[in-house]
Amino acid sequence: MNKFFVITWLLFSVCFSSMSLASDYEAEGPHIQVRLLAEHSGLKPGSVQTLAIEMRPDPEWHTYWLNPGDSGEPPAIQWQSSEAITFGDILWPVPAPIPVAHLVNYGYSNAHLLMVPITVPNTLTVGEVVTLTADLTWLVCKEDCIPGSAQLRLSLPVTAELAKSVHADLFEQARKDLPHEVTLQGTLEINRDNIAISFNAPSGYAASPERWTVLPFRGDVIDHAAPQSQVSSEGKISLAIPKSDYFPSKLNQARFLVKQGNKGFYLDVSQANVDESNVENSSRHSSLTLSQLLLLAAMAFVGGLILNIMPCVLPVISIKAMALNQEASSRIQQIAYLVGVLLCFNLFALTVIVLQQSGEQLGWGFHMQSPSVIILLAFLFTFIALILWDVFTVGTTMSDIGETLVTGHSAKSHFFTGLLAVVVASPCTAPFMASALGVAMVSDTLTTLVIFNALAVGFALPMTLLFMSSNIRGWLPKPGAWMQTFKHLLAFPMLATVAWLCWVYAGQQGNQAQFILLVCLVVFAMCGYLLAQLKTLGKIVCGCVMLACVLAPISLYSSTNIDKLAPTSAQAFDPDLLQRLRSKNDIVLVNMTADWCITCKVNEQVALTTQQVKLALDAENVHYMVGDWTNRNQQILEYLQQYDRAGVPLYVVYAGSNKGRVLPQILTPGLVVDALTTAKQELNNVN
Amino acid sequence: MSIKTLLGACCALLISAQVFASAKVGSTAPNFTLKDSHGNTVTLSDFAGKHVVLEWTNHQCPYVVKHYGSDNMQSLQRDYTSQDVVWLSIISSAPGKQGHVSADKANALTSSRGAAPTHVLFDPEGTVGKQYAAKTTPHMYIIDPQGVLQYAGAIDSIKSTNPKDIPKAVNYVTAGMMALEKGLSPDPDLTIPYGCSIKYKS
Repeated sequence: MNKFFVITWLLFSVCFSSMSLASDYEAEGPHIQVRLLAEHSGLKPGSVQTLAIEMRPDPEWHTYWLNPGDSGEPPAIQWQSSEAITFGDILWPVPAPIPVAHLVNYGYSNAHLLMVPITVPNTLTVGEVVTLTADLTWLVCKEDCIPGSAQLRLSLPVTAELAKSVHADLFEQARKDLPHEVTLQGTLEINRDNIAISFNAPSGYAASPERWTVLPFRGDVIDHAAPQSQVSSEGKISLAIPKSDYFPSKLNQARFLVKQGNKGFYLDVSQANVDESNVENSSRHSSLTLSQLLLLAAMAFVGGLILNIMPCVLPVISIKAMALNQEASSRIQQIAYLVGVLLCFNLFALTVIVLQQSGEQLGWGFHMQSPSVIILLAFLFTFIALILWDVFTVGTTMSDIGETLVTGHSAKSHFFTGLLAVVVASPCTAPFMASALGVAMVSDTLTTLVIFNALAVGFALPMTLLFMSSNIRGWLPKPGAWMQTFKHLLAFPMLATVAWLCWVYAGQQGNQAQFILLVCLVVFAMCGYLLAQLKTLGKIVCGCVMLACVLAPISLYSSTNIDKLAPTSAQAFDPDLLQRLRSKNDIVLVNMTADWCITCKVNEQVALTTQQVKLALDAENVHYMVGDWTNRNQQILEYLQQYDRAGVPLYVVYAGSNKGRVLPQILTPGLVVDALTTAKQELNNVN
Repeated sequence: MSIKTLLGACCALLISAQVFASAKVGSTAPNFTLKDSHGNTVTLSDFAGKHVVLEWTNHQCPYVVKHYGSDNMQSLQRDYTSQDVVWLSIISSAPGKQGHVSADKANALTSSRGAAPTHVLFDPEGTVGKQYAAKTTPHMYIIDPQGVLQYAGAIDSIKSTNPKDIPKAVNYVTAGMMALEKGLSPDPDLTIPYGCSIKYKS
């Protein structure tokens, strides 16, 4: 009897203790159940394992993501353990936007796991039992919210091998609900009223027509409840979203979660350039890595060396070499020539930089991506090839002056020799300087300086070595007819460059445009040839034809550009025309856009090029005017300033001479059509 | 000028008034008129020349409970109303939704909780709430004697329902009022509010 009692008591206590353990790892609050689960039934020393808090809100109730949206609060976990276990951050499953009246929250309306990776130290001994405690607080809401908290405890034995627990399947499932491991990279654009983000669709999603939803990590970036305009073209997704009321004054990068259905990706976006108006420069001043810079410098250095064996340079150097005294010259005398050359090249580089910078302010920024720059470079290199072939005869007087100048032995004479060598040798150096100029125009200041200095050092090196040691003289090749051949051969690398440029151009503008460019290049070369043969009048005609050849493809490019931008009957922005149309009591929609403005592109695709808007714009007395701010221009700047804007997009609808109505920065077809209809009514009321 | 023109002009005026009426820190606070818990009509512009604090509230919201259960909100109300500051507690909960109360219930809540607002106002349509872009309870605003909105946002710096956080947090209303008394602008002047979403009609 006594024995029976003891056994019963033991059994009872075992049951009781296991029950108390069971109730320890789970808890219940109003409208929610929570559990602390482990993927494995034990802890293995030195391993990384996963724990999870299971949140199971009642139907229609929800808990929150790390950014709760307009209201609410994410769950928080404070971990403790009897051993030195390291707890990682919560791995949040992909959340969903949950609308509440006109506000939006981000969270989970069904059971989900908040998984947490833990690192088990090596020092644990098998057989030991470790207690893990999670102090959990949460907020569970339907429309009303109820905060809750629980202390959840789990005891796990330390085991040599890992065995799956009964909950392992839940973990397996939960991993499928996590955002993808690959973090996407994108660009961020900040406008007055909205932000626009742009990213390449992850592989497998490029063709999907389904829309993306953007959820921000920070609570102060976007208006959570606002509709998100989206366009995708060739796998690039762009979204324009109204800014949060709490948008920070400085924001260069931000993290988002972008989701399509249940699939989510983290997306890091950064501003291409902090100043919106400089966005165009960023594509041009593509920062070079050190190795790229060194390669460019090496190429320029070799170019400088080659300059020395040009027909109008080598004879000069040779004469100098012959005339040099055997007696040692001072160090100053030795480097004076180098200093002279460096000074001259740097002066030239500075001129280029100043021109480039002031040109930027004038709005004619060059960027390599721009087809018009590609065209200009193609003509430039063709022109250089023509010079190398001696198609244009350049007077030899300059090199004669050079020969007289280089005689003399003082440091001063060497210095001026260096300074002037560049200038006097210009018939031969010009092609190189022109190439360097071309590169400098599309590079940043540092690259320009590096290139010019490497070129200068290469150019000055043989002479400087000569000054230092006359033994070098023996190394110099003898001047002769081969120099001409070499010069002529150099034209081919130039033409190869032209071929490459034409290929780039075809990629941008298509085969037909490339054909036109090629024809223009051929005509240009032919006229160049004729120019040298003909008399005064013929020369003028040829010169004009050559100019026309350069301008034709450029103007063709810009007109196709407008077509691409505005498939409706759009007119280019012109303040005078706008004034005339308004005084005629017509309706005008002005669209200020730029190629680099993501929001503008989104609006053009989502709203302005839709059938609905096109019909409204094609109506009688309605005009559509497009200002292209891609390359800044004074007229557009003045117009933007009228509306206190520093950048695009800007949309204004005018009803005759009435004050224009500024449309929001994010357009919908309905909004544009309504604005045009209202303008029409306004006019009818007046008449 | 025809009647049509006049009507059109009026419409345009109304639309523009609507558009420009939303609240913005640093700009004139939009005017409003609401009924209070004693049946009086209260208009914001009546308080010109005084500091005005707006407090969006819902007595059943756990975040509001945090600040009333700890006497934090009431002590602010007592402090400021005794300094001739006008304190308006606004309820934008729609009828049938959490936090919507009758005038009697509102007065009973005021006395039982020892609250001291100048007025408890009802905004069952949510018009004023939306005008001020009020999102949560609590959501706090400070308007200066010139009628300019000087602060909008959270009551303090720690987002939680735990009253123990109150002494650790920076109270933005106190900080804002202190700055204004010194002739400075509140810093921060705009913060993300935290709390329950306001139970708007739509």
